[in-house]
Amino acid sequence: MDAADRTSTGPPGPPLALAAPARTLGTGRTRAPAGGGALDLRPDLEAVFRRDHALVVGVAARVLGASADARGQAEDVAQEVFLAFARSRVPADRARGWLCVAATHTALNALRTRRRRAAREDAALSGRAADEAVAGDVADDVVAAEERRGVRDALARLPRRQATALVLRHSGLSYAEVASALHLSPTSVGTTVRRAESALREELRNRASSR
Amino acid sequence: MRHPAEGVLRRVVDEPAGVSDPDHQHVAACARCQRVLGEVRADAGAAAGVLAVAAPAGHGVAGARTDAAWHRLRSAAADGAADGAPRPGAATGSSRAQRSRGWLRRPGVVALGVAVVVAGASTAAASDWLRIFQAESVQPVSFTSTDLVDLPDPSAFGEAVSGEEVRVRTVDSAEAAEAATGIAVPRVAELPRGVTGEPTYQVGEQGSSSFTFSAARAAASAEAAGEDLPPVPAGLDGTTVRLTAGPGVLATWSSSTGLPALAVARGVAPTADSSGAPFGEVRDYLLSLPGLPADVAAQLATFTGDGSTGSTLPLPVPADRATTGTADVDGVPATTVTARDGSTSAVVWTQDGELTAVAGTLSTDELLAVARGLR
Repeated sequence: MDAADRTSTGPPGPPLALAAPARTLGTGRTRAPAGGGALDLRPDLEAVFRRDHALVVGVAARVLGASADARGQAEDVAQEVFLAFARSRVPADRARGWLCVAATHTALNALRTRRRRAAREDAALSGRAADEAVAGDVADDVVAAEERRGVRDALARLPRRQATALVLRHSGLSYAEVASALHLSPTSVGTTVRRAESALREELRNRASSR
Repeated sequence: MRHPAEGVLRRVVDEPAGVSDPDHQHVAACARCQRVLGEVRADAGAAAGVLAVAAPAGHGVAGARTDAAWHRLRSAAADGAADGAPRPGAATGSSRAQRSRGWLRRPGVVALGVAVVVAGASTAAASDWLRIFQAESVQPVSFTSTDLVDLPDPSAFGEAVSGEEVRVRTVDSAEAAEAATGIAVPRVAELPRGVTGEPTYQVGEQGSSSFTFSAARAAASAEAAGEDLPPVPAGLDGTTVRLTAGPGVLATWSSSTGLPALAVARGVAPTADSSGAPFGEVRDYLLSLPGLPADVAAQLATFTGDGSTGSTLPLPVPADRATTGTADVDGVPATTVTARDGSTSAVVWTQDGELTAVAGTLSTDELLAVARGLR
């Protein structure tokens, strides 16, 4: 067992709350508690929002994909995460890491829901390709869509901490920032990201060979 | 010298400044490490490629996009996220919550309400509509804001349906309020210092909502979440719990700032009826469903009720925002709730089937004085 394993057993704090199963699409999580003030928001919210909004959308988009629909979903995830942050007591100096971890978890949860729908679309798309005798551009579309879906499936299958470290690092957070957000040592961040990338390669390779 | 771990080599790829000099020197001179570094670099590059995010259309006006997003957030926060709430997956048409009205707009609250009612239910034989719960006392149940956030959407395990929308309207006087509701409007004997003038009166009609448990829907939700659904007790599928509360009356005194300084509310305490299923079993089952925070479930499980003589009404209190205590209002046990920032307090109790609350921007002692002086 290496350092990454030892340090990956504890939850990374509040963001995991957003990632609880079966709650992904519930809108209740963004509400103030009953009787709570809807405008009871932290005073540094706007400054943090303007500083980190694009980053948080980018984090969610890396999980959800590059299509226009996915982009809209990523912006929804960012809204959800900032609403949760607005009513949280996360220290200001930990805000960026918290937001990025929360965005990753929330997006991964949304992804899980979307994969079920994708299975149906997949069948429809394959049917269409066969019907059209695999004309060139359609075949390319199918391959591209398949590859995008493969990435999402692979991400969804990774252990949460690996997926999160991977997405955060590729979103531009430094090793120190990823380490702080996930309660890892910077060395463990390298190990965790490396494992995620290796697993991602294997997933995509297996998927390609099964086609 | 031992070879640096792959995690170190990974950092060599994109943050070499964070790698120690000895490791750099080793990697530079070691053929094995160079080979592994090549693999690490290739995997990192491939991952970067598949995770790349194209700049959104119109990225030249990123500031405008952030502005728009900020206004959306403000709007969502201002209206309690009723309409502007983000809904990942909204494109799937999943918007059951939007079809609900009134307090049912808060699915988590409904979930808690269902759990609350079932937790408070007495064990009784199934029959047609059966009174299973009538609040006769109040006791706080602590949960954190995170717990509330975590509460599952009740549509994940059944169908929540609101009854007729409850209309709340302002009336001219206490007499008019009493005539409209049949409730003797509590009169404050002596207003606390700083509270002056006449109150405004509002009345609300009786409201009800129901929840029907669906074993199929619960199973589908559990499967989607990758969790196991506990075996469904016989007779539970299709059981409907109906909650009824009100009518009620609210008297409010404004302060010079325009905010309510004091509010006194009294209404017919919540009751619940059920069709089907022995309720001790239903309670235990619902409390075992995935998603209900364990602490909250444990507290609710202790509420057993007392048959036809009534039950304890759990009062959900966010422990990170408020503290609770107990008090005595003319011989009746009451619960006090005080915001941790000291801004507001409330005293709540139930007597003779009526629930009364005194709340405001006053101290608990001042509110207790008002409560004890109600006529």
